Amino acid sequence: MATVAVPQLSGYHRPAVLDWIMTVDHKRLGILYLYFTLFFFAVGGILALLVRTQLAVADNSFVGNDAYNQIFTMHASAMLFLFIIPVWAGFGNYLVPLQIGAADMAFPRINALSFWMLPPAGILMFAGFIVDGGAADGGWTAYSPLAQQTGVGMDMWIIAVIVLGMSSTIGAANFLVTMFRMRAPGMTMFRMPIFCWTMLVTALLQLLATPVLAAALVMLFIDRNYGGQFFDPNGGGNVVLWQNVFWFYSHPAVYIMILPGMGIVSEILPVFSRKPLFGYKAFVFATIGIGGLGFSVWAHHMFTTGSVLLPFFGFMTFMIGVPTGVKIFNWLGTLWGGSISFPTPMLFAIGFVSMFLIGGINGTYSAAVPVDFALHDTYFVVAHIHYVLFGGSVFAVFGGLYYWFPKIWGRQLNERLGKLHFVLMFVGFNVAFFPMHMLGLDGMPRRIAVYADSAGWEALNMLSTGGAFLIAVSMIPFLIAVVMAFMRPKDQPDDPWEANTLEWATTSPPPDYNFDSLPPVRSERPLFDARHGDEAH
Amino acid sequence: MLGMPLRRRLRLFVATVTAALLALLATGTASAIQPRGITDEAHLMNDLFWIVTIAGLVVFGLVGAALVYAMIRYRRQNDELPPQFHGGGKIEAAMVGVPVLIVIGLFTISMIILVQIDDKAQDEALTIDVTGFQFSWQFAYNLNDLGTNTDPNAEGTIAVIGTPANDPILYMPVDEPVEFLLKSNDVIHSFYVKDFLYKLDLIPGRVNSFTVTARETGDFSAQCAELCGTNHALMRFTVRVVERDEFDAWVAAEAARQLGDGALVSTSGTQGD
Ligand code: HEM
Ligand SMILES: [Cu+2]
Ligand SMILES: [Cu+2]
Repeated sequence: MATVAVPQLSGYHRPAVLDWIMTVDHKRLGILYLYFTLFFFAVGGILALLVRTQLAVADNSFVGNDAYNQIFTMHASAMLFLFIIPVWAGFGNYLVPLQIGAADMAFPRINALSFWMLPPAGILMFAGFIVDGGAADGGWTAYSPLAQQTGVGMDMWIIAVIVLGMSSTIGAANFLVTMFRMRAPGMTMFRMPIFCWTMLVTALLQLLATPVLAAALVMLFIDRNYGGQFFDPNGGGNVVLWQNVFWFYSHPAVYIMILPGMGIVSEILPVFSRKPLFGYKAFVFATIGIGGLGFSVWAHHMFTTGSVLLPFFGFMTFMIGVPTGVKIFNWLGTLWGGSISFPTPMLFAIGFVSMFLIGGINGTYSAAVPVDFALHDTYFVVAHIHYVLFGGSVFAVFGGLYYWFPKIWGRQLNERLGKLHFVLMFVGFNVAFFPMHMLGLDGMPRRIAVYADSAGWEALNMLSTGGAFLIAVSMIPFLIAVVMAFMRPKDQPDDPWEANTLEWATTSPPPDYNFDSLPPVRSERPLFDARHGDEAH
Repeated sequence: MLGMPLRRRLRLFVATVTAALLALLATGTASAIQPRGITDEAHLMNDLFWIVTIAGLVVFGLVGAALVYAMIRYRRQNDELPPQFHGGGKIEAAMVGVPVLIVIGLFTISMIILVQIDDKAQDEALTIDVTGFQFSWQFAYNLNDLGTNTDPNAEGTIAVIGTPANDPILYMPVDEPVEFLLKSNDVIHSFYVKDFLYKLDLIPGRVNSFTVTARETGDFSAQCAELCGTNHALMRFTVRVVERDEFDAWVAAEAARQLGDGALVSTSGTQGD
């Protein structure tokens, strides 16, 4: 019996930790993004529970006024800058190359750089809690001149946000080049999976808007530390200028925070309705439309400053309702006439559609300028923000996690636990946030640490706090499902859901190089075509 | 047999969602009754609030019903592939057309009401100088600018200054236009009176103003609506709307207290002139 000597390449095996730290593989980086952002979702969530505990009863002194301002500021900063914006980069990193049939992102090393800018920024921002004067406490909007007054925690916050912005700017360039240059043969732009399209528009917004924020933050930093007086009227500066530049970034940023979520939902709905997305091109144009209009409505956050051209910004804001309405039709039309099943990802997707609908409708109140005079800076706006960002984006995050978990980790999350998670979160969310509409109408301003008993806001606040804790409880079945999944072997087939897009044409999880071979791409649903041939067209 | 528990679970889910949607609708309607407003301007805004609410409820009801209907009617019953419908010209045109009509309608109504509110601004109004500071308010009245009952020869200013622990009271007469001039020297604050259904920011470096005519007397609680630092939550005040003679009496008493006797040509004396 002849034996052949196989040469050993090397006796050295890199420890797994180093493997993760040195990786330039888009899938591993995507997973790192997901771990990082979900960690900060938990941190932001704990801060939210502190906020809700403080507000549960009138005249509460659970946390002091100073601490309260830091807590709600860092809650919002963590949720927006360290969770929701980078979580899409996580999904995008994992999925975009797979969905377009590429082996990796266009610039793998730059991709690693984008990720590794996040942890130092996160640490820097939160280190504010241990320095003199505490963490940033001017709200995530950091309105000047208030933002000139606070301690060094504010400077740390500014630098952290600049670094996070650089991360998403170079990440955006990477996504764009990847999607423009690396699509599989046959995949024209209009055959690209819809999630990729939403990532593309998101990347464009990031590329155009984030540098504006960086410029504004540098000006603020100079004002604070070197007497710049950009925003100081006593030195010829202009207070409202800050708001103009801040919202010139931050309104497009609200779309950066939700468009990829819409993309995820638009992947899930067709799969579990067993139909194509209704009006694919209309969806793409609506996404582009939202991106474009998104640059012309920033001042709707400033209607009560007395220095805004009200008719113009009111009109543009209403116009955003058009592409948004188109999307609601896309989703309804996809369900209509389908053959619908309701596994957990689908529940979260439908949860998204229904809650986002409410978030669009309560946004209309603020677009109607005279109504906004009453509602601006009250809890009504807090309700609006959360119906879009939690009922929308966060539901999409969980829908995406349940949907791609088998692909990313090769295992299924338990269905029963998933459904329990959904029901608890859906109920908890509405109990926590719906009463805020009434509180806002009843005159409760946002960002207040205490309210008087005589204001009559206690009952609804108590209810809302109960809902917040129910949301926290809903995380328990999710975590159990994750632990249970990881205790099982990887047993998932390539395509457990009978899905449509290329990431399901390879093993679960995919090999380093992603694909052994690609099916032909003749529509936006190559896997559907492979399963059903031409019978269905 | 195999389909039974699934279907039952489905039905339960659909029932829960429907119930939740209905509950939302009901609470939404109930909550909409809350804002009322005590000024002419607020009544206009309230009309707009109702129009938006009705439009919103109609959209919510139609879309919500379609969603629930689709989930029940088109749930998966067998392995047969449903028709692979991609969409088409006419429907997609309607998808754009319907929202366009809705938003243009709402925008037009908003602007009509905005113009009406602005129209109300009047020159001969009583003027109150409001200054916000960390963390309370100052309300100042110029004695020769007291609206319908101004004595041009009067000189001096009276002011009410609050502290975070001691909320100031803003006196104003009922049934006549009152103009507010809003100023700040430190950070941004926002003058928010819930029962005016209105707020306007106090911005360092500029003066904002607005005019309202209150139609109800009484005490109305109000507070700062723009985060302004540690004790932002304690920047509360009370708007006290009173009859004109009560207002004049208050002005006279304050003038005597703050400026000493004779500083004011007795306001009560100028009444009825
Ligand atoms: C039909 C769609 C929408 C309309 C008409 C709309 C309208 C508005 C308006 C007018 C405001 C300012 C309210 C005020 O401060 O008085 C606002 C605030 C806000 N919106 Fe929207 N919105 C829509 C969708 C969204 C979406 C999709 C997101 C994010 C995913 C979003 C996130 C926010 C946030 C974060 C704020 C508050 C920012 C802050 O002051 O901290 N909105 N929206
Ligand atoms: Cu906006
Ligand atoms: Cu304030």
